[in-house]
Amino acid sequence: MTLPPERDSSGRFVKPEQEAPKPSDEHTHPMAKLLFGWVESPRTPLLLLLLVALIAASLIVVDLFIDRHEYKYTAFAESTGFYAFWGFSAFAIAVLSGWPLGKLLRRDEDYYGEADTKPDDVESDS
Amino acid sequence: MSGLLGQINPGLLLILVGFAGCLIPIQRVRQALMVGTPVVAIFMLAMADRGTDLATASVLGLDLVLYRVDSLSFIFGLAFLIASFLNAIYALHTDDRLQDGMALAYAGAAVAATFAGDLMTLFVFWEITAVSSVFLILRAGTKAAYQAAMRYLGVQILSGVLLLDGLAYVYKSTGSLSLDAFTSFDQPGAKFIFIAFAIKAAFPFLHNWLQDAYPKATVVGAVVLSAFTTKLAVYAFARMFPGFEILIWIGAVMTVFPVFFAVIENDLRKVLSYSLNNQLGFMICAIGIGTPLALNGAAAHAFAHIIYKGLLFMSMGAVLYRVGTAKASELGGLYKSMPWTTIFCIIGAVSISAFPLFSGFVAKAMTMSAVATEGYVIVWLMLLFASAGVLEHSGIKIPYFTFFSHDSGIRVKEAPFNMLLAMGMAAFICIAIGLPAIGGFGYGWLYGMLPCTVTAPADVCMLSGAEIKPYKPYTVDHVLTQMQLLMLAVLAFMLLKRFGLYPPEKPGTILDTDWVLRKPGYGLFKWAGTVWGKAGPAMTAFAGRIGSRTFDQIEATFSPRGALARGGLTNSMAMWSAVLLGVVMLIVLLAS
Repeated sequence: MTLPPERDSSGRFVKPEQEAPKPSDEHTHPMAKLLFGWVESPRTPLLLLLLVALIAASLIVVDLFIDRHEYKYTAFAESTGFYAFWGFSAFAIAVLSGWPLGKLLRRDEDYYGEADTKPDDVESDS
Repeated sequence: MSGLLGQINPGLLLILVGFAGCLIPIQRVRQALMVGTPVVAIFMLAMADRGTDLATASVLGLDLVLYRVDSLSFIFGLAFLIASFLNAIYALHTDDRLQDGMALAYAGAAVAATFAGDLMTLFVFWEITAVSSVFLILRAGTKAAYQAAMRYLGVQILSGVLLLDGLAYVYKSTGSLSLDAFTSFDQPGAKFIFIAFAIKAAFPFLHNWLQDAYPKATVVGAVVLSAFTTKLAVYAFARMFPGFEILIWIGAVMTVFPVFFAVIENDLRKVLSYSLNNQLGFMICAIGIGTPLALNGAAAHAFAHIIYKGLLFMSMGAVLYRVGTAKASELGGLYKSMPWTTIFCIIGAVSISAFPLFSGFVAKAMTMSAVATEGYVIVWLMLLFASAGVLEHSGIKIPYFTFFSHDSGIRVKEAPFNMLLAMGMAAFICIAIGLPAIGGFGYGWLYGMLPCTVTAPADVCMLSGAEIKPYKPYTVDHVLTQMQLLMLAVLAFMLLKRFGLYPPEKPGTILDTDWVLRKPGYGLFKWAGTVWGKAGPAMTAFAGRIGSRTFDQIEATFSPRGALARGGLTNSMAMWSAVLLGVVMLIVLLAS
């Protein structure tokens, strides 16, 4: 007879095995909680994304009402949201090109036989 | 106002104290000198008169100008001295005589070269920067660092030799060693000097020494290296090649291609090296435009860049010092252990990304504006692309993967106090020169030092003939467009991250163009060496055999027992005498 996974062979209930233990916060710097404590909340990434999206949207909306003046040759950049479009697509292209480029150019760390680059002046116990 | 102190090139003082520092065994005494000397040097610079030859010498019949300050060299020299002061503070936790001394001598050589008034003086200090800086890589003590240091030294010396070559041509054709700007590549020596500068400025395909050597240097060494060599080359270009159109295109390419390498590189000090390349591109592009506004842009960018790039290298150095690695794939969550380093790194990151209120914003704006004014639309779009690229690798990747991202579980101590102090001061400068000018504070201080101001413009500003107009970075248009560019790029990052489209950080070596030299090139040399090793003895033996055979033949003919000695004396002697006489007479006949 097979036991359900939460009981051991003598039939006692056991706690399901924990995944890798979370690093203890014992050594966390006191300033870290104060300055960046908010980062740890599970809702932060989504809130941050919404905040940035809101700012981005408002920057484009403001652009509708402001009559910008570009230089003669770059007059096309006066169109609303040109910089927004260019910033977004430039960033996306740069990052997405990382997929094929990584495949093409990434080799083993010891490719040139120079994998060990840890300098002598790092802390001795690190 | 110029006393004796105002007549000594402050770089010389740094070099002398630097070399002396290598011999001082007492740590605190040496370090006091390392920190104090740049401060004294800044005072010396402040006392110097502008636009005159302050120190001259005559060596081997050459008239040398050892010290000359104008508004172009002033801003570069001052930036070098401030960097050298910050670097000395950053190094206080170490006790390394050679590194301390050479760091100061290296800074001194860069300063002295900046204030050189002729090509020969420039050449001498150009070479000292190469020789002194190599120790900052060697002290890392690894095999990789040793090999990279040798490659670095080779490339730097090559640059020096080309400069020497070029100045010889210039001297021969004009009889002077002046640093006057070239007007065309057809002038004697112009091409040699251009390539000499191009190597140090890490132009595309000549750039590999930078990404090869800097990430393998010591923790302190990389910070020191980031400030001087390349910006000295930028200064040299601004001095001798302003307005050369080819620089516009080279600069634009330089801003774009490192972006792609920085995205996939794992070693964050190497990412910063690529980022350095990209920033140099903006300056080189501005020098190519060559108008007063553009030259101001290049100088302001160099000044701001020396500080924020130093700050970023410092923060990655602090992480490397505590954790033992600066690889993105192994880091993460370090804000818990190093919150102050995190803050300073973020300040460096937003400065280099050119967010309003930070130094990059007021500096880069002039270059962008000058490029647009002159109608280089494609270049302008490339620079705009590169601006978003800077945000990617230096603005987001560096702080995010080190201090945030997933928690690597690494818990270390905060960086040593001296490192935090140096980072804090650099961060302060990044903000102080980026703020709007209110009550004598803000960017006004930086703009007041630019080379092309109405009061005391540098010689090169006159070349372009364009009017010198003050530039205002804080306009509604500019703030709005810059914020659009950056915030939408940040949004792109968040979306790509959220949908798992951001490539993961993986360990590995990224191939760059130096592959050609380091794999097939090195292989070719190795093959040639093997062939020579085998063919050499064979060829020597062959030559030896021919030699001995010839000797045998000669001996068999002319020796007392040889062919000619045999037979009657009269026969051969008479005949040979007649032949010789005939030859002599023929020669006389022909010659007369």
